[in-house]
Amino acid sequence: MADKMDIDAVNGQKEEEKVGPAPELPPERIIFNNFDLIRQAVDAFDSRFTLRALRSISTLRKSDKFVEAIVIGVRTAFPKPNMGARKVLEEMLPESATAMQNGVAATEKEKKDTGDDQQVPELWAYLGILVQVYLYDTQQYQEGADFSENFVEKIRSWNRRTLDPIGAKAYFYYSLFHENLDPKPPSKQSPVIEIRPKLLAALRSAVLRKDNDTQAAVTVLLLRNYISTADITQADLLVAQTQFPTSATNNQVCRYLYYLGRIRAIQLAYTQAHDHLESASRKSPTTGPAVGFYQQAMKLLIVVELLMGDIPERSVFRQPSLESALYPYLKLVQAVRVGDLQAFLRCVETNDAQFRKDGTYTLILRLRQNVIKTGVRMLSLSYSRISLRDICTRLHISSEESAEYITAKAIRDGVIPDSSLDHTNGHLITSSGRDAYSTTEPSEAFHARIEALLGMRDECVMAMRYPMNKHRQELSEAAKARERERELAKEIIEGEGDDGEGDEGGFEGM
Amino acid sequence: MAENELKQIISQLDSLKANNVNEAPQLLSRAKLALLHLKALVPSEDTQPQHLALAASVLELGALNSIKLKDTDAFTRYYQQLQPFYSLSDNSQASGRQSNQSKVTGLYLLLLLSVGDYAGFHTVLEGLEQSSGKEHLEKDEFIQYPVRLEQALMEGSYDKVWGETKGERVPSEEYAVFSEVLINTIRSEIASCSERAYPSLPISNAKNLLFLDSEGAVIQFAQSRGWVAKDGRIYFPQQEEEMLAAEKNVMSSSGVVIENTLGYARKLETIV
Repeated sequence: MADKMDIDAVNGQKEEEKVGPAPELPPERIIFNNFDLIRQAVDAFDSRFTLRALRSISTLRKSDKFVEAIVIGVRTAFPKPNMGARKVLEEMLPESATAMQNGVAATEKEKKDTGDDQQVPELWAYLGILVQVYLYDTQQYQEGADFSENFVEKIRSWNRRTLDPIGAKAYFYYSLFHENLDPKPPSKQSPVIEIRPKLLAALRSAVLRKDNDTQAAVTVLLLRNYISTADITQADLLVAQTQFPTSATNNQVCRYLYYLGRIRAIQLAYTQAHDHLESASRKSPTTGPAVGFYQQAMKLLIVVELLMGDIPERSVFRQPSLESALYPYLKLVQAVRVGDLQAFLRCVETNDAQFRKDGTYTLILRLRQNVIKTGVRMLSLSYSRISLRDICTRLHISSEESAEYITAKAIRDGVIPDSSLDHTNGHLITSSGRDAYSTTEPSEAFHARIEALLGMRDECVMAMRYPMNKHRQELSEAAKARERERELAKEIIEGEGDDGEGDEGGFEGM
Repeated sequence: MAENELKQIISQLDSLKANNVNEAPQLLSRAKLALLHLKALVPSEDTQPQHLALAASVLELGALNSIKLKDTDAFTRYYQQLQPFYSLSDNSQASGRQSNQSKVTGLYLLLLLSVGDYAGFHTVLEGLEQSSGKEHLEKDEFIQYPVRLEQALMEGSYDKVWGETKGERVPSEEYAVFSEVLINTIRSEIASCSERAYPSLPISNAKNLLFLDSEGAVIQFAQSRGWVAKDGRIYFPQQEEEMLAAEKNVMSSSGVVIENTLGYARKLETIV
């Protein structure tokens, strides 16, 4: 298993993985451990065990013996060959794997106890997820789509809370399979449109059953669905009509904020978009295999910042994980910062394909007026009086009249405050005498920052988890500890009293 | 046979174009009734392809007619009704109708611009980019016209807007209907820009800036905006800026400062 350990090291798994199954275990072992974890989860009604089991999926899918391991797992959980559950799962797996394992399964059977029958739904669902992962990795999208449809229906019909984390994952793969079927989005004929009613129904059931995991996951999937076919109004309505559960996992929150930011950016609400995207990029993992999300969020964040008129800092581009991905955006920022329209257009032309792939192309086209505005602002900062003709040449504007209108608009929009135009001589006059510290601006900025940090602290406190009933244990332990201390103190005093009686008597006499 | 009746009505509508536009609504209602008979008004799985084509052309003619009659609500309604047809026909081979589709979409974009709904404008444009792809859009004059206008409006180069609406660059007559609305919009935009940008302006220059025809019109316009016209110059009111400056004054906002500081103190107590 040495190569498997290498794979793990290279991928840089997150720290939680060390708590789970150790990397040297063969995949079947991992699956059996997960069975135990899942049974524990059902007994204790605690979802953390299920989450641990689900986390090991990424280790499992990289193993060569993934399929065989699944089959062994299926055989072990459902020893009788004609159980309907087992048949459904095995249908999806290739013949070679199922044929080989006939002998092995028989020996494992004795080790498992008969408690299997009771927890069958969770185990079956877990194995179903593994089958989905396998089908996705081997790109059998059509079979995967069909299997997933029945799979999620079954899960939904069971209505068991312990199934929630598994159900959320199942919906994720269900949606993913359909996205890969032809015709792909953004075409309007894409199959993703057909799964919308199902996802909406799933969202309804999840809310009714107070199933937070599924609710969060399905909301995010719906948003992704709507955005992929450019149905922004529908996505907006979904956001307005539903509430995102506050106790969702961090990953789902990240994704939700990202999609929300995307919607707001398209609707020209840049400040809101900026807030959402900033939270998304802060909460997302910055290293490891999931760094792609961080890159994507940062790209969108940079474009939104440019649209708002701010220039993103250089340090953002220097982060090691972002350097190569953000290179075209760096060029873009440089062009906008200087106010050079030609460089901007050139940059857009050369990186056309990359921007389209990132879905930021249309937003970047809107940057045109920002380039001009920034150019005007730069000029107004450097000159106290500049003629309109010079503005024309600097900003490559076609005519002096246009320049006049553009500067007038810029003044009205507050880009260059405290300026005026001298029409007769054709000059722009700027006066930069504002002392920011004498206004309330610094205190407002401080206030905003303090509020944000206090909010973060409150969120952290609320997110701390304690196991249930532990506090009662603590109280009783504390009481016992105090008892012990008292006894100890008594013994000490009695002991000293025996020895030093003479002295004490002397003291008391005085 | 409902089909034949439908085709008749469509040819009638086509020939109507130049003359009596007011007769169109009656013909359109008859056409819509015929479509309902064929179950084609709302596309579903059992409507046949040629019926879809007929329905789409009827609705498009309806849309174009409502523009000529300056009925924006009706136009918006026809456009919404056309949406399912357009999303269905993305991959199919309908050729002759394509020109009308982009025309109607372009008109809708222009409508959004003239009421100032930029968010809606960009949302629709985003959807178009995704479905038809860039090369197709760039050659499409009907769509490029509103896109160019929006760019010029956002930049602030109103003379470009003026040029586009005036001359022969307008793609078709229906677009010309919007020109007047647009000119009024940019006139008020220029007016509000000028208020902030110029301390004062001679009237002749104001005439050129505002694209007005005579000095009398300038004075009228000035009065309607509340400007003072004296000695051949227009003076813009200056008070709003002083009011804004006063708001930033520290003394007047002491209430807010006190509130904030008390809040900090309370939070600190809970933390420490």
